[in-house]
Amino acid sequence: MNQHTKDHAALADAFNKDEARVDWHDQTLWFVRQKRDKAAQQVPEWELLRDTASQIKENVLSHLSEYLVRFEEQATRNGITVHWAADAKEHNEIVYAILRQNKVDKMVKSKSMLTEECHLNEFLEEHGIEVVDTDLGERVVQLAGEPPSHIVLPCIHKKKEEIGEIFHEHLGTPKGNADPQFLTHAARLHLREKFLMGKAALTGVNFAIAETGEFVVCTNEGNADMGAHLADVHIACMGIEKLIPERRHLGVFLRLLTRSATGQPITTYSSHFKRPRPGQQMHIVLVDNGRSTHLGRKDFRSSLKCIRCAACFNTCPVYRRSGGHSYHTAVAGPIGSILAPNLDMKKYADLPFASTLCGSCSNVCPVKIDIHEQLYKWRQVLVQEGNAPAAKKAAMKAMTWVLSNPSVYHTAGRAGRWFMMNVPFAVNNGLNPWYKQRDMPEPPKESFGEWYKKNKK
Amino acid sequence: MSSRDKILDTVKKNQPEHQELPSLPGEVAPVAAAAEQDLCKKFIATLEAIGGSAYIVSGFTRITSILKEFFPEARRIVSNCPELSAMAETPGHYEDAHTLENTDLAVLRAHFGVAENAACWITEDLMVERALPFIAQHLALIIHKKDIVANMHEAYGRIAEWEKAGGGARIGGEGTSYGFATFIAGPSKTADIEQSLVLGAHGPRSMTVFLLDEEMSDAGFY
Repeated sequence: MNQHTKDHAALADAFNKDEARVDWHDQTLWFVRQKRDKAAQQVPEWELLRDTASQIKENVLSHLSEYLVRFEEQATRNGITVHWAADAKEHNEIVYAILRQNKVDKMVKSKSMLTEECHLNEFLEEHGIEVVDTDLGERVVQLAGEPPSHIVLPCIHKKKEEIGEIFHEHLGTPKGNADPQFLTHAARLHLREKFLMGKAALTGVNFAIAETGEFVVCTNEGNADMGAHLADVHIACMGIEKLIPERRHLGVFLRLLTRSATGQPITTYSSHFKRPRPGQQMHIVLVDNGRSTHLGRKDFRSSLKCIRCAACFNTCPVYRRSGGHSYHTAVAGPIGSILAPNLDMKKYADLPFASTLCGSCSNVCPVKIDIHEQLYKWRQVLVQEGNAPAAKKAAMKAMTWVLSNPSVYHTAGRAGRWFMMNVPFAVNNGLNPWYKQRDMPEPPKESFGEWYKKNKK
Repeated sequence: MSSRDKILDTVKKNQPEHQELPSLPGEVAPVAAAAEQDLCKKFIATLEAIGGSAYIVSGFTRITSILKEFFPEARRIVSNCPELSAMAETPGHYEDAHTLENTDLAVLRAHFGVAENAACWITEDLMVERALPFIAQHLALIIHKKDIVANMHEAYGRIAEWEKAGGGARIGGEGTSYGFATFIAGPSKTADIEQSLVLGAHGPRSMTVFLLDEEMSDAGFY
């Protein structure tokens, strides 16, 4: 069975085989969540910032068509070429056409989850173009032949020893060296060469400003800038929801983004691209790929407010213990689980169920998306549209019958208690999903109903 | 129908009813103005926390001696400050930015710093080449000690004022603004390998900020 036909539970099962690794993964991400808390608590007006950011994004969604047109006008005036892509296929073709026109066969790329969503790398490689991911974490997973498992920390699922092995194989570092400082330096030398040879650079976009036609790219490594400023052609790809109305609104978002993501006060570089440098070409590809449809779903549209900080990943008890790859989509975690079903309800029907609905994601979200409520609402939609797994449907039907028949309910309760008391192996086995990683509770001697009947005076 | 029109049509059809833009923090009730001294202290503490270092200096004589002391190995230094021409190349422009690849140290004036995150705002007219602040092995920025704002809201206010005053006019081209500008906060870094922080990912391995204060005396330093 290949990875794409397995659902979240099956993939999480595979991840859970190595318990020590799961604990490590869990603790590492919780550490990032704690750094986020510390950073947020140092800003007294934090909650006001979240409210403000949320309201700005609500305004963006309500005027998105106007902002898109205004952005296009301004960017064009600034000398940027604006392209529109209805879907992933068109996006990939636009990028390829730009590269072909410029006779480029190598491209350096900084982090862009959109291009992961569109599977740009695979497409370009099929057409003979070498794509080099330049974010360290992305380079690691690219060399490993894997997708990123986290939108901010792409190789968070990998141990340093594994990265040492990958670098030994691909970059010729000494076998057995797993020192992060040493490995980062090796990547620096390797990628510097690529930057200097890159004729074209592709970057993502964190924010695009309708008022001025500029866009902002945030990195810690400086890889977006190294690529863009040395290349003759700069292509920036963005989902249409990345717009904000005015430049001054960046003040709000840049204060929230990195504090929410990693607990830093800001990324090392927050670069504002407005005009190409003399002799350079600058392109922007505005990508829809289902977003305009999503905008029409009243209950789910607010997920388009997302600024991709990944705070909801780091706090999620399910994400931390199941790993990013178990979500089988470009954007994993709680936010990915409410974005993905919009693209393909059947393929991603499992994701809204990959949650405990604890609500921690909504509590840390810097733009106040009601993530856990949307997870819950997606479940209803998916079941109504017939996308629930057969076993779950059967179990729900049985449960409905039991819960709506008092006598059946009481008999079932008595039977359950009897089984757990007298033949515990009937429930304490691998056939019972509740038994996985937990012990079944000790059954009470009687139910509350039975106790009440006895003691009622 | 073109993809553009198709996308815009669907967006227009599906976008919710008008939602008001909020006022921004600081616009309604202005944040209490912090004293210059406090902002400076906060800026330095934040910069040090993110792996950078700061020096309050009286002028370029002091900057030169500090640079010589801390970067004795630097063979190629590039700067936009004519005051440093004895130790640095100070051309206005390079035909090919790739030739900056072996720059050991870039020393550039920036506009202002932000106390809450130690970011310094620099527009392309102060960069020599757009690639320079990123390609150099080490970066030093110079701002005036009084040019520190409290937070990012004030920062964007400053940028708007600068534009209004025609600050970007010397860049050339259309309009009076920058074509490229960036906030830089600390050295280039990554924690992609097991969350271990490593300074010097692709860009500079260190960041030094000189805070100019002409009234200050160098006596007593070192």
